[in-house]
Formats: sequence, C-alpha cells, structure tokens
Amino acid sequence: MRVVVDQDLCGTSGQCVLTLPGTFRQRESDGVAEVCVATVPQALHAAVKLAASQCPVAAIRVIESDAGDDEPGSADPPPSPLEAERHAARDQRHPGGHDGTV
Amino acid sequence: MDVQAATAVCRDAFAELASPACLHDPYPFMRWLREHDPVHRSASGLFLLSRHADILWALKATGDAFRGPAPGELARYFPRAAASLSLNLLASTLAMKNPPAHTRLRRLISRDFTMRQIDDLRPSIARIVAARLDGMAPALERGEAVDLHREFALALPMLVFAELFGMPQDDMFGLAAGIGAILEGLSPHASDPQLAAADAASARVKAYFGGLIQRKRTDPRFDIVSMLVGAHDDDADTLSDAELISMLWGMLLGGFATTAATIDHAVLAMLAYPQQRHWLQGGAVGVKAFVEEVLRCDAPAMFSSIPRIAQRDIELGGVVIPKNADVRVLIASGNRDPDAFADPDRFDPARFYGTSPGMSTDGQIMLSFGHGIHFCLGAQLARVQLAESLPRIQARFPTLALAGQPTREPSAFLRTFRALPVRLHAQVS
Repeated sequence: MRVVVDQDLCGTSGQCVLTLPGTFRQRESDGVAEVCVATVPQALHAAVKLAASQCPVAAIRVIESDAGDDEPGSADPPPSPLEAERHAARDQRHPGGHDGTV
Repeated sequence: MDVQAATAVCRDAFAELASPACLHDPYPFMRWLREHDPVHRSASGLFLLSRHADILWALKATGDAFRGPAPGELARYFPRAAASLSLNLLASTLAMKNPPAHTRLRRLISRDFTMRQIDDLRPSIARIVAARLDGMAPALERGEAVDLHREFALALPMLVFAELFGMPQDDMFGLAAGIGAILEGLSPHASDPQLAAADAASARVKAYFGGLIQRKRTDPRFDIVSMLVGAHDDDADTLSDAELISMLWGMLLGGFATTAATIDHAVLAMLAYPQQRHWLQGGAVGVKAFVEEVLRCDAPAMFSSIPRIAQRDIELGGVVIPKNADVRVLIASGNRDPDAFADPDRFDPARFYGTSPGMSTDGQIMLSFGHGIHFCLGAQLARVQLAESLPRIQARFPTLALAGQPTREPSAFLRTFRALPVRLHAQVS
C-alpha cells in the first residue's frame, strides 16, 4: 500500500500528522502535509485508511496496489433522502463514517 | 419547559437559540431540531443544519458545493456591511475566502501553526499555566472565592496569544476586553446597538494592529506578526495591510473566547463528574480523551459564524436549499447527534480513548473545530492549552469546588461564561 497527499488540496490542518506522526509530516515552509514513507507497512494499513478518512479536505489518497488509483479523495454527494431515512430509523450509532469510510 | 410543545413549528431557530430557555440549556431544542426540522429554514432565510451527517457533509463540501460570499455580494448577505467595520473586517478574514486565495493565505499563516511549532510552545504554555495557578493559590487557600473564568480560563489564551503575537501583556488584556462585544455584533440577529458596540471595539483593534504592524516592520522579532509582515512585504499585491489586519483580528476573535469557554467547561466537567477525573491522572492519552469529550459535549461556537453559500440547488433530507442560500451548521447539535455518538448527553471520555484527536472510537468526527478547508487553524493550540491546564488544576487544587452558580454569557452563538466562582473545599481533619 502507498499513500499520497494532494498538496494542492491540503488544508494544513495537521490532522494526519497528529494521527500518524511517523507516516506524515508538515513542510516547515507552509504547513502542507507530506508523506515520509515509500510504502505503508502492513501494520499501519488500517491506521492510514483512518487518517485518510479523517482528513478535513480529503487530500489523502490510499493506493492499494501500484496499478490502482483506489479511494480517490473526491467530493461526496449530499446525504441522500433514502440514506437520511435510514439515518432517522436507526436509533443506534453508525458502524462507520457517513461517507462509507471507516 | 416542554420544548416540543413550545416549538411545534419553529419559525426561527436562531431566535430560539437566543431565548432564555436555550441560553440555560440549548440541547433539548437542538434535539427537537434534529428530529423535526433538521434542514431548518429560518424566518430570515438562513438555513440551519443540525444533524451530524449533514453538518459534516456541508463542511467537507465548502469550497465546492458551498462558497464564501464574493466581495461584491457582501451587501446581499450582510445588509449592514457597508456601514459596519466589523462586518468588513470579517469579510476579509480567512474564513470568508474562497480557494485559491484562501489556500495561499492559509499557508502563509500555517507555517506558524504546524504541529511541531505548537508542540514547541508546550513548555511556555506550561509555565503560564503554573504561574496563573500560583497566582490564584493564596486567595483560594485563605478560603476565598476566585473567578476561574477571568483569572485562568480567559487569562491563559490571552497570555499565550500575547507571546505568539509579540505583544505586551497589558496591550493584549486591553484588546481582549472588546472581543465579546465584537462576537455578539457578528451574530446574524445582532441589534443595531450591538453592531455599533462591535464596530467601536473593532476600530480599537484595527488601530492597535495597524500600529503593531508598523513596529514589527521596523523591529521584527520571532513572532507571528513579524513573520506575516515579512510575507506581506515580499508579496504586496496578495496580502494587503487590510487583509493582514483582518487576519490578526480573526485570530483574536477565534482564539480566545472559544478556548476560555472550553477551559470553563472542562473544569465544570471535573467538578460535576469526579468519577471521571482519573482520566486526568493517567498520562497524555487519558488527558486527550477527556479534552476531546469536553469539546464534544459543549462546542463553544454553537453554530458557524460565516455564510456558506449554496453554489446550486441542493437537496438535503427532502428539503431543497436553493442556489445562493446562506447555510449555517449547528455544530453543537451535531456533536450531540445519537447517530454519531451513542447516548450523546452522557459525558464519557472513553469515546475518545486511544484515537487520533477529533475522532471517536467509532470513527466519528467531533465537530467543534469544524471540518473542511476552514478547519480551525488554532485547534492544536487550543488542545495543548487544555492538556497542559487540566492535570495541573487537578493536581494543584484537588479539593476545588464551585463557590456559587456560574454566570452564563447570554449569547446564542458562543456558549461561555461571565464568571465561574470556585473555592477550595474545607479540609476535613
């Protein structure tokens, strides 16, 4: 697995650095995040996906294989009415994030 | 009060949030909104989102489905903008900018707010915390009541800012006195006298920062203002003096009252739930969990203060938000949405134990710092101030108790206090 930060998109919140300080760092010059590992070790796969889902501007992209462009950090559609109904019907918590990521 | 009966139809949630019942406890009304009117259209035309999922989506979609008002549109979204200095200053802050200008300005300031820079401030924050607690100790030990809000919660972020901005402490205390008035003036339902008071305070802040910028230009030091003056001089056409003043004004508004409110709420949580104090004694991970839960339970800025303007018609929960509508999000309600945080009115730091800051063990986002491109610049600075304060308060004053009812600030926007009187319990011998 590889992970990349879209540096045009990065909002410099530093959230990824807080989540995984060994994997991400912030550039001194402007606070933009960068990845400091070539590949993500197996043990951190879940944590990196979590960091990607938590990025406030969805600037972190996880690439599962060398060929794939999995999980693009694109804008979500608004929560659909159907989803809102399910949402209302549920009286307990979500299993994961609203956008399907965990 | 029976909230559901009283608000079978809610004409204007912003007005309701300013009612005495909501100032006392806004959370029953927020629950009503989530359940009955989650995409609320107020009498004035503003929309207000109150469900966690919708809020998170709108925050993420800012810069895409939503934008800030263009300079030419200011009068449309702020009818009194032309005459108001505060609204004009607000219009040039980072929070109102759209990409790419936003991106560039944010990066200019971000270099002083990287996680590493904030971490470097820890020792100096710890020193200020210890000095303030030392200052309160004699009166407390004599059995007197001390106003923790003024003496500690408000003083700490002010002193930290004075250091960051390279300002004398007395100057900072003088400026900070006007912040409450400015925040009230910016509320969507501010009266004309409130706006006038805000403008008077903003004029003082603007004049002071104008002078400070000149001083830092001739005598730069290692502080944010000197750094921004430098960036400004290299690149005059993208960061004007006016923008620089707005940026500092915005940091002043965003930074203090919110941090102070959260320190107040944290101390109240320590006093209300003594069985949860163990989180503050078990090292950084426990402290972090406690801090995040305080932030979730009582978001200091209850709703977003800046317009998010719909770029197109947006359907949300069966309601069409028309293009160009001004959409606000009720952050404090999202944090109490049972779909995101089970049993949301219960104070339970375990929700945030061992997670990255701002995310629950269920992978849910705590909304108090926002999300998306306007994510709070000072989030980590606030967290460090809280984390350095709470264990020290606990260790220094283990018998701290309320000395009277806290006095709330009567604000629909900022959930905070005017006074938080505390004393030490008499030692039983």
